[in-house]
Amino acid sequence: MKWELPPRVSEKTFQKALDAFAGVVGKQWVLATDEDRETFMDYYAAGDADQHVPSAAVGPQSVEEVQAIVRIANEFKVPIWPVSRGKNLGYGAAAPRMSGTVVVDLGRMNRILEVNERFGYCLIEPGVGFFDLFAYLQKNKIPLWMSIPANAWGSVVGNALERGYGYTPYGENTRNICGMEVVLPNGDLVRTGNGAMANSKSWHLFKYGFGPSWDQLFCQSNFGVCTKMGMWLMPEPEATLGLNIQLPNPDDVGWAVDELAPLRMRGVIEQSPSIGNSLRFVASRTQRSEWYTGDGALPDDVLRDILKKNNLGWWTINLRLYGYDEVNEAHARIIKEAFGRHMQQEIEVVKWHRGEPIENSGAGVPATNALQIINWRGGRGGHIGFSPVLPASSEHVLKQFHSTKKRYEDIGVDYYGSFTLFERYTTNVNMMVYDRDDAALTAKVRALFKVLVADAAKEGYSEYRTHLSYMDDVALSFDFNNHALLRLNETLKDALDPNGILAPGKQGIWPKALRAERA
Amino acid sequence: MSARMEGPLPGCMAKLLLLTVAAACIAAAGAKALAADDAAQKLEEGKQLFHARCGYCHLTGGTGTIMLARRLGKDRALLEERTDLKADYIKKITRVGINGMPPHNRIEVPDSELDSIASYLTRPASARVAAGEKGGTP
Repeated sequence: MKWELPPRVSEKTFQKALDAFAGVVGKQWVLATDEDRETFMDYYAAGDADQHVPSAAVGPQSVEEVQAIVRIANEFKVPIWPVSRGKNLGYGAAAPRMSGTVVVDLGRMNRILEVNERFGYCLIEPGVGFFDLFAYLQKNKIPLWMSIPANAWGSVVGNALERGYGYTPYGENTRNICGMEVVLPNGDLVRTGNGAMANSKSWHLFKYGFGPSWDQLFCQSNFGVCTKMGMWLMPEPEATLGLNIQLPNPDDVGWAVDELAPLRMRGVIEQSPSIGNSLRFVASRTQRSEWYTGDGALPDDVLRDILKKNNLGWWTINLRLYGYDEVNEAHARIIKEAFGRHMQQEIEVVKWHRGEPIENSGAGVPATNALQIINWRGGRGGHIGFSPVLPASSEHVLKQFHSTKKRYEDIGVDYYGSFTLFERYTTNVNMMVYDRDDAALTAKVRALFKVLVADAAKEGYSEYRTHLSYMDDVALSFDFNNHALLRLNETLKDALDPNGILAPGKQGIWPKALRAERA
Repeated sequence: MSARMEGPLPGCMAKLLLLTVAAACIAAAGAKALAADDAAQKLEEGKQLFHARCGYCHLTGGTGTIMLARRLGKDRALLEERTDLKADYIKKITRVGINGMPPHNRIEVPDSELDSIASYLTRPASARVAAGEKGGTP
């Protein structure tokens, strides 16, 4: 893979910067061979990995080393791209937005600094993975539950910074952030919220501090490098009650959203149920060629047949209630009544009580099995996610579902989508699965993505998160008052990072010196 | 059919819990630098590293195991039980990836750890016999 130097940086200067990085972290942790560069690229890319090629990677082990790296980056004007563990799969993984950027991999900063059982929080470094924190809680028999995403290979901190989510009542991971430690683009070190008071007794209890609250300004941004994060964890409930629901028809997603959204808003349902098309279960366990070898997207009648053979509805909902048995039972009754108004199909009930094996509880156990879907089309699989946010109502959900499904079918890609319900909105994650070696297909996927962003923007739907290649498109779709938000973000960027060294282009935010790089 | 996308397949639960213990032990294992000539202990270290770094996907029920079963058959799906792997091949695949498996960089798996993992996965038949493993027939 061809790589390039960062803009504004000569080969000689770049080498000096690498030598200076090595002086801080040791030669072993400065990686700059061709093979090293490839290990930080977007492995699942839809044919555009060459747009995001890093020039090197550095692996610090302490906050002091991160500060030193940031100061060196300023000295030599070498751009850096911090990643927690680099597993942002489907969104670019560890690769930087701009080719030539040096990846700063924080994976070696993997200490669990505190777990507070009484107040239900942890203080962790960015290299701590979901598996690591889960292991710690299990080993020490701490009755606190994490919120774990579908693919749990990544970092707890990184996922919260990117606003990922899990499936418990604490599932909106960025909402659990309470107090961070951050290295600013000039190398200075701040603590947010009450952590700004050196001897604070409530850094990880009270989110807001005094004056402006900064935690969310460091999420999905390029304003600082998070080196520690306080995160709330959920007290283990007394019991859980799961309702596994199969919706028989495609349009059932409309009434299901209308029934579930008010219950979610009123707290009858406290977690965020995901209404996903059942093809995802088939795709994670079998390959497309086992069912269909014809051209184009899977025809509706073939899909019906597949679902029937697997005893699945068109959509599946795995809803779970957490808390006292009696309350769960009462809430389950209300939910069953709501579904009973529309369908006769039986709802599977799964119960768990404290002390029983955790894997049956709905707590979430880290796994990477969700990755199985990339094998659906055969060959060397890859995936990318298009994820607009919609109001939680049938009017919007049905319109977006039919429009997206049609767009998928137009280019011969099987529809694979889910609607995850929060109190007032739903996140509609649409996966595109492809064979990375099928250049014609990946070109269509890239073109489709831009069409989907434009379609959504026309309807007033924005993305909650996106792949590197579409950050500019999505940022520009926020167009109120001639992109006033982008102007504000870039005013802040230039004030905090005058040399433009930290993650240029992240979320469409470019520093003054590199704005010509905007797509 | 249980259909919970976000959850792992039931078969991998026990191994995942074992992995948690392995992960917790890894720091301690690293600290106790073992004598170079103590082959058994080195293999044990390699085993622990394999569980901690590769176990996310390559234990029973894991996604790598499922993918390998599909490609090569169930008998060759569990890397720990394979006797046909070569150390250089393991190291190369770890760095460049293969099919659905992404590459692993030298920060998450340093060369020294990869050497240890490869030694464990290519341990001689005598070591397998000594450990009473399946597939340990000399």
